[in-house]
Amino acid sequence: MGTMLQKSGLKPGEIPELKNIEHPEMIAAVHRAYIDAGSQVVYANTFGANRRKLAKTGHSVAEVVSAGVRLAKKESGEKAFVALDIGPLGELLEPLGTLTFEDAYDQFAEMMEAGVAAGADLVVIETMTDLYEAKAALLAAKEHTKLPVIVTMSFDASGRTFTGCTVAAMAHTLEGLGADAIGINCSLGPVELLPLLRELRRNTLLPVIAKPNAGLPDPTDGHYDLSADDFASAMALILREGADIVGGCCGTNPDYIRALRQVLSEKKDVRRVYEPRSVVCTPTVTLPMDRIRVIGERINPTGKKRFQQALLENDLNYIVDVAIQQLDAGAEILDVNVGYPGVDEVTMLPRVVKALQAAVDAPLQLDSANPQALEAALRVYNGKAAVNSVNGKEESLNVILPLVKKYGAAVVGLTLDEDGIPDTAEKRFAIAEKILSRALALGIPQQDVWIDCLTLTVSAQQEQAEETLRAVAMVRNQLGLQTLLGVSNISFGLPNRLLMTQTFLIRALHAGLTLPIVNPNQKDIMDAIAAFRVLNGEDAQSKRYVARFADTQTESKPAAGFTMTLDDAILRGLKTEAGRMAREALKTEAPLSLVERHLIPALDKVGVDYEQGKVFLPQLLSAAQAAQAVFEEIKTVLANTGAETVSKGKIIIATVQGDIHDIGKNIVRTVLENYGYTVIDLGKDVPPEKVVSAAKEHCAKLVGLSALMTTTLPAMEETIAQLRRMDAPPAVMVGGAVVTESWAHSVGADHYAKDARAAVAIARQVFGE
Amino acid sequence: MTIPISEVLRYLGASAADEAARLAVGQAAEELAAALAPCFVYKVFSVEHTDSGAFLPEAGLFLPGAMAKTMLQGCNRAALLCCTLGAAFDRLLRMTQARDMAKAAILNACGSAYAEAGCDEAEKEIASRYPGMYLTDRFSPGYGDLPLTLQPDFIAALDAGRRLGVTVTDSLLMLPAKTVTAVIGLSESPQPARIRGCGFCALKEHCAYRERGTHCGI
Repeated sequence: MGTMLQKSGLKPGEIPELKNIEHPEMIAAVHRAYIDAGSQVVYANTFGANRRKLAKTGHSVAEVVSAGVRLAKKESGEKAFVALDIGPLGELLEPLGTLTFEDAYDQFAEMMEAGVAAGADLVVIETMTDLYEAKAALLAAKEHTKLPVIVTMSFDASGRTFTGCTVAAMAHTLEGLGADAIGINCSLGPVELLPLLRELRRNTLLPVIAKPNAGLPDPTDGHYDLSADDFASAMALILREGADIVGGCCGTNPDYIRALRQVLSEKKDVRRVYEPRSVVCTPTVTLPMDRIRVIGERINPTGKKRFQQALLENDLNYIVDVAIQQLDAGAEILDVNVGYPGVDEVTMLPRVVKALQAAVDAPLQLDSANPQALEAALRVYNGKAAVNSVNGKEESLNVILPLVKKYGAAVVGLTLDEDGIPDTAEKRFAIAEKILSRALALGIPQQDVWIDCLTLTVSAQQEQAEETLRAVAMVRNQLGLQTLLGVSNISFGLPNRLLMTQTFLIRALHAGLTLPIVNPNQKDIMDAIAAFRVLNGEDAQSKRYVARFADTQTESKPAAGFTMTLDDAILRGLKTEAGRMAREALKTEAPLSLVERHLIPALDKVGVDYEQGKVFLPQLLSAAQAAQAVFEEIKTVLANTGAETVSKGKIIIATVQGDIHDIGKNIVRTVLENYGYTVIDLGKDVPPEKVVSAAKEHCAKLVGLSALMTTTLPAMEETIAQLRRMDAPPAVMVGGAVVTESWAHSVGADHYAKDARAAVAIARQVFGE
Repeated sequence: MTIPISEVLRYLGASAADEAARLAVGQAAEELAAALAPCFVYKVFSVEHTDSGAFLPEAGLFLPGAMAKTMLQGCNRAALLCCTLGAAFDRLLRMTQARDMAKAAILNACGSAYAEAGCDEAEKEIASRYPGMYLTDRFSPGYGDLPLTLQPDFIAALDAGRRLGVTVTDSLLMLPAKTVTAVIGLSESPQPARIRGCGFCALKEHCAYRERGTHCGI
C-alpha cells in the first residue's frame, strides 16, 4: 500500500491513512489493482491509524480505521479477505522509550474495536521490531476480537530485530499467546529472508508467512533492486522451503503479486524439523530445557530481613542486585517471589518483573500463590515465562492452568492436592499425571508442564527423602517431563546444612532432576552442578569445569606487604574487598561510626581529587560503588537487628517530563546514596505532578531535577513552579547538559549542580552538616 | 570502525596522560566495538536557495535559518544523514548501569564517540559516491539556528524509522539514544570550514572544556 500511495502522489510527511477519508478513490484503486493481480488477502489502509499519529488530524481512530476497512471490503467483495492492518505505534515502549505496555495495549485495543465493527475478516499485526509491542497488539487482538490473528516482525540479516529480538524468541512467545500464523515481513529481500524462515519453522508449529521487500534498497535513492520476475523466482525458493502464506512488502506492486501467483504451484508441504522442547525466553535469550538449568531462588523475602525491608520500601534496585548476583553465580532462570505481609503482590510482582527485565537478560519464573498477581505479571512479562505454581487441587487447576494457556507460559506442577503431600512416590506421580492430563486438555503442550516432586526436611521426615527421589525418577523416566526441586529444604534443622544439601542435590540430579532451584551464591552447590555436568556429558571436554576452577582474578590486588584498610578499598573502588572489610569492621564498630569515620572521609578524598582533575568520573563512581557495598553491609546489620536505617535525609530526584536521557541523573543518585542520603528516584520522563506528590508524600527537603535537552527545559521550569506552590516547598537543585547556573536561578531553582560532587555539597548545605 | 580513545577521554574529562583511564576506556571501547556497529542511512537531495533558508524539494523539507543558508550556499545538493547505535546500545548501557555505574559512564562516552565515528564513515561513503564534489561540514538540527522541530520530518524523509528503528518523541528527542542526524552540503567548489570552533558553538558560555582552558576538538 505504502509503495503504491507514494506513486499516486502521497507527499513526504502526509499521513497515508487519512486518504481513506480524503481520497477514498485513490485507496480503492490500489485495492482493486491488487485483487486483479490475484491477492487473496488485502490489507486495509490502517497500518498507522493509531491515536498518537492521528492526534492532530481532527479525525478519530474509529473513523479512519472504519473507512479503511470498509473501502477494502467494498473492493474485495467475495474475491479476497480483508485484514485489519496494525503497524507499530511509532513510539518506543519502556524500557527503551517511555510508552508503557498498558498504554500501547489501549491504543491497539481501540484499533481492534474499530476494525471488528467495520467487518474485517482477520487481523494482521506487522512490521513489528519490538516483541513487547507485538505482544501488546496480539493481546489486544485476542481480547477485543474473535478474528484470526497473524503477526509478522521485521528482522535484519543477522536474524535480530532493531531491538535485538531473535526469531526463536518471537516464535515461542507469539505462538504461546495464541497467534494463528506468524512470520517475517519487510527489512529484507526474499533471498536474505530464506535462512530466517528455516529458523522460524524449527521453532513453531504454526503456519508461517514470508512477506519480504523487493530486494534491498539502494542507499542513495532508496530504490529496490529486484524486478517482479526476479522477486517471483526468489519467492519460489521460499515456497519450496515451506512458507504457508506469501506476499510482498516495500518496493513491490501488483506486478510482483501477479508474478508471485504464477509460482504458487511451487509450494510444497515440506516436513518440519520441529523438536518439541520446552523453552522459556526473553526477547534476546531463548533457553531450551535440553540440559540441567539452574533456577535461582534468592528473589524471595522468606526469612530474609534485608529483602523484606527492600520490598516494604519499594527498593527495586536492591532486588535487581540480587538478580545480578545470582546470574553472575550461574543461575539461568530466576524465580521471582514477592509475597510478604504488607506487600500488595498484584502491583508489586509486575513492577518487579518490569524492573528485572529492564536490567537483566534472563527468563523469569513467576512465583506466587495469588492468581491475580500471576496474571498481572504474565501480562507485562516480555517473552515466555514460567509460572510457579499449580498443584493437584481442583481450585488450583481450574484457576492457574487457564492463565498458563492464555499467556503461553511453562508451568510448575506441585505434587500435592486436597489431601496434602502424599507419602509415597507412586501417589505423587499420580498427581503429576493428573496435572499433565488437565494441562493437555486445555491445549498446554506436554513439554511446558514441569513437575516439582517436593523436597521435605530430612531431619523431620527421614524416609521421605527417598520417596522424593523415586518420584523424580518416575516423572522423568515415565512422563519425560522436566523436574524441579527446591533442594535446600532437605537440610533444615541440621548442622553443616551445605553438605546435606549438596549431597541430596547430587543424588537428585542422578535421579533425573533437571531444574534444581538453588541459591547459586553458594559456591559448593554450583561446584557440584559443574561436576555433574561433566559426568553427564553436558560439559563437552570439561571446558566449563576447567574454566570454573582456573585461577581467576577479578579485582586488582594490592602489592605484597601492603595492608589494606577499608578506606583504601573505597579509594581504589574495590567493591568486594570493601564489603568484606565492612562486614569485619561492623563486628566491633557501630554502623554510624563506620559511615562517619571511614566512608565519608574516603569519598570526600576521591571527590576532591575529582574536582582537581586528579581522577576522572569513572574512578569517582567506582569509589561510590565500593561505598555502596559498605552500605549494603550496614543495611543488612540494621535490618537484622531491627534498628532504624542510617539516613541523612530524603532526596527526590527525577529526569523531567519529555526527557529520557537519564544516565546523568543515575550518576548523581549513585553518589548521593553513598553519602548516606535516601534517594527516591522517580526515573525519567516524570510529569511535574508526580514530582510534587512524591515531595509531599516523603516530606523531602531537597528535590533534584535533571534535563538534557533544550526542548525539555520548559518542563523543568514548570516542575519548579509547581514545587514552589507547595505549602512548604523543598529546596530544588537542577542540573544537566543544557542547564546553566544563571538559567537555574532565573527559573527559581535554589541550587545549580554542575555535577554529582556539587550535588553532594548542596545536600550537605540543605541538610545542615 | 574504531572508537577514538582520546575523544572518549576528552568527553569524560580525563587527562590524555591518565594511563589508568586510557586503559579502562580502551577496554570498554573494545567491548563495545565487538558488541555492535553504528548503522546509517543517507539520501541526497537537490537544494533550492531561499531568502530564509534552504529547501529540499524531493524531501519536502525546508531548512530554515542562517546556518542552513550559509552552510549550503554554493551547494546544489545536500545529503541528509542519520546514524544510530541502535536499541542494542541502549540495552547494553541500561544493563551496565545496573551492574557498574563507573563502567556505564565510560560506555556512554564511548557510545557518543562511536556514533560520531559512524557519521564520519557515512561522510566518507557519500564523498566516494560523488567524486569531484566538495562536502561542507556536517551540521545538525538543534545546533546554531537549525531548529530541533525538524527532527520528525528529517527522520521521515530518510525513512529512518523503518530502516534504522529511529523514533522521535513528542519532546523531539530521538530514540535510540545514540542517534545523530546531520546535513552535509555538496558543492562543485571547495568549501571552507564555517562552523568549527568555539565561536559558533551554542554551548560556549558554560562549556566545561573552556572552563579548564581547553576545547572539545571540533
